[in-house]
Amino acid sequence: MRFLAFLIRRLIGIAAVMIGVSVITFAISHVIPADPAVAALGDHATDEQIAAFRAEYKLDRPLPEQYLTYVNDLLHGDLGRSIRTRRSVADDLADSFPATFELSFTALLVSIVVGIPAGIWSAISRGRLPDVVVRVLALAGGSIPVFWLGLIVIGLGYYQLGWFPGGGRIDAFVAPPPLRTGLYVVDSLVAGDVEALRSSLIHLVLPALTLGYFSTAVITRMTRSSMLEVLGQDYMRTAEAKGLRERTVVLRHGLRNALIPTVTIIGLTFGSLLSGAVLTETIFSWPGLGRYATASAVSLDFPAVLGVTLLAAVVYPVANLVVDVAYYWLDPRIQRG
Amino acid sequence: MSRHRSPILLVIALFIAAACSSATPTGGGSGAPQASGAAGTLVYYADVSDLISLDPAVAYEFSGVLLVHNAYETLVRFEGSDLSTIKAGLATSWEPKDAGSTWDITFKLKSGVKFTSGNPLTADDVVYSLQRVIKLNKSPAFLFTDIAGLKPESIKATDGSTVVVSMPKTSSPQGFLSILTFTVGGIVDSKEVKSHETSGDSGSGWLLDHSAGSGPYVIDHWTKNAEVLLKANPNYGGTKPPLSGVLVKHVPESTNQQFALEKGDADVARNLGPQQISAVQGKQGIATTQGNSLLLVYVGMNATVKPLDNVNVREALRTAIDYDGIIKELLKGNAKKVQNIVPAGLAGYNDATPFQADVNKAKSLLQQAGQTSVNLELLVPTGQAPGGVAWADLAAKLQADWAKIGVTVTIKQTAQADLLTSYRAQKGQLVMILWGPDFPDPDANVGPFTDYAAKSIAYRNGWDDKTIAQKGRDAALITDTSKRAAAYKDITEYVLHNGPYAILYQPTELFGLRSNVKGFAWNPMGWLDFAAITK
Repeated sequence: MRFLAFLIRRLIGIAAVMIGVSVITFAISHVIPADPAVAALGDHATDEQIAAFRAEYKLDRPLPEQYLTYVNDLLHGDLGRSIRTRRSVADDLADSFPATFELSFTALLVSIVVGIPAGIWSAISRGRLPDVVVRVLALAGGSIPVFWLGLIVIGLGYYQLGWFPGGGRIDAFVAPPPLRTGLYVVDSLVAGDVEALRSSLIHLVLPALTLGYFSTAVITRMTRSSMLEVLGQDYMRTAEAKGLRERTVVLRHGLRNALIPTVTIIGLTFGSLLSGAVLTETIFSWPGLGRYATASAVSLDFPAVLGVTLLAAVVYPVANLVVDVAYYWLDPRIQRG
Repeated sequence: MSRHRSPILLVIALFIAAACSSATPTGGGSGAPQASGAAGTLVYYADVSDLISLDPAVAYEFSGVLLVHNAYETLVRFEGSDLSTIKAGLATSWEPKDAGSTWDITFKLKSGVKFTSGNPLTADDVVYSLQRVIKLNKSPAFLFTDIAGLKPESIKATDGSTVVVSMPKTSSPQGFLSILTFTVGGIVDSKEVKSHETSGDSGSGWLLDHSAGSGPYVIDHWTKNAEVLLKANPNYGGTKPPLSGVLVKHVPESTNQQFALEKGDADVARNLGPQQISAVQGKQGIATTQGNSLLLVYVGMNATVKPLDNVNVREALRTAIDYDGIIKELLKGNAKKVQNIVPAGLAGYNDATPFQADVNKAKSLLQQAGQTSVNLELLVPTGQAPGGVAWADLAAKLQADWAKIGVTVTIKQTAQADLLTSYRAQKGQLVMILWGPDFPDPDANVGPFTDYAAKSIAYRNGWDDKTIAQKGRDAALITDTSKRAAAYKDITEYVLHNGPYAILYQPTELFGLRSNVKGFAWNPMGWLDFAAITK
């Protein structure tokens, strides 16, 4: 029951965040000096065409009225129509979000699988060579610009070695699996399409490594520092004194406690992976949300920008919610308290 | 609890292992992951983020036009990269006749043409297609309604193979024929399109990513933000295209395009900058080529702002610019020196280039105007200008050139949409921007650049010269080509020294190709005939 109450409180919070975000985004996007009608129709459009366009998108109405119309449509499940693509924003998001989700999720998976062991290793060999190597790599991960890293990765993995494709989600001559979730890996597994599975997995490698490097670095550093803290605790010494193997002490007693701050970071990182995918998506021709957002912002496509912002406004709190649920599982004190 | 964690980690580990093991066989040592179906298919890497629709009545963006051009045929056409001689397309004859109150153009249709569906192409399809453009009223529709002055009832079929189009006397028949060569004049299979109509959309929902034409290629699929695949049309009546397919891959990052070209994964790289072109030049298996564009990069000088209202001040600014330096240094030769308002490649092009960094002459022109020190603001867009140079670098060059004659310019850089909003409202002083004609006819430039009442470029620069505007309108209506050329020479010569423009250059398009790609001829309107290409 307590969990349910907690969940409901969180969901109300998410709704409040969305209202706030929509008001702010709407206000900002409508007070900038450039005219979206001019942006959409360009240099050649006549004044009549611009006026007709403004009327079509209700840009000629007072701002509060525009907002209320927008919210009303939103409550009816209508995110509006994109100025740039002329399609429904919901359809555009449904096309591009799964691609970004698949990429970010894979990047996160890489970060967890690499980052947590690296952090532990670094902590238990504090001051020695492995620690130094891990720390240098983690420092680099936090400071190398994604754009540059992406070009290096593609230059090496695709151009020099030729082990991986240079971009896209799937080989152009392999038919994508029938879309159910929009996640190619999942959909090709469901369809039992080995060729599509192979192609979509291999296409994920370079972009996921590129995108995941930063979060791997963050997770590594967080795991290392919390592990170091835990290693100094009395109960660890007790466990060691009981004659348990080091492996058991570190993994059973240490990791469980060290993971709590790491889980927080993982949740936050997932949100930033989704939004940080913009550059990675551009370099790797990945047809995701980041590129959609950039293209929409550049062409002053307000309905699309609002749609993306609202989606992000849902994703962040949901990621946090998942983290809180994970706490619940990791730390019995939270369940009781 | 800890017992629960291990299976999860195990699943993750298995997942990663699966990814690695399935990745190795293709990757391992086999060189580039070659697209297995690439033989016989032209792989064209380009940034096609502008793609909105593949419907000929809707497409008006570069990528859409390129694709639509290859899936549909038009009544008349230009061939290869030529834009001056109208040739037969689906029509075998198209003589304009003076019918008293209108111009009537009678199109006789070629017999035996079939659509992809196998349906024969008739006069009804032509009427349906052209009327459909007007009814849908999307981006390119103004070419029919505003420029050619057409209404749905202006287009009639007189028998199964004859179509008559009646135009008001104020519109140019020559201009209309040029418009018909453009994708908006693509003829659609009316039976097929009608069968896909939903809620009165004239089939535009279906034609968004399908085709129903008679051109050499058919649209196989369009995966949004990823690729468009064209396949050879089995019912095409002309010479069978040598390549069975064309894959246009959306690759926004030009370094990626360069890598793929060098690896042989791409046959054509569309968006390489001048430096990347120099980097790939001379590499084995790679050729580079140029194509013309019809764009003009220019500075508009607002004649309502003092001292730009003085014709000598404007002439001084034009005279002081180092055009050769811009083209050779900034653009690495990637542009043509053009100083008139009609670009090279269109009828009516005037090759006079009298201006080149003459500081003394410019100073004396300023003196004649009674100006010794001038302060002006130059509006410049952000990003890259056509030809591969940053707008900001071009602006800095102009600022330096003008400083030599005592003109101080403050550069204000802003997003293009923002700049256009000011420019359209006559609020700029000096504005640097580009212009491309809407249809391949001199009237598409002369009208906007001379006619204040058209509320286009002349209006934005506050230049209201009624005599030249009338001359422009008259020239558009001349049907005799040599008389028309003479009229345009007269007009461009006048605008060259009296207008409020400094035309800086006409950019060239650069392409990286695999050296086995032959028959690549870029049309300045932004398309190429894939059916002429072999590899």
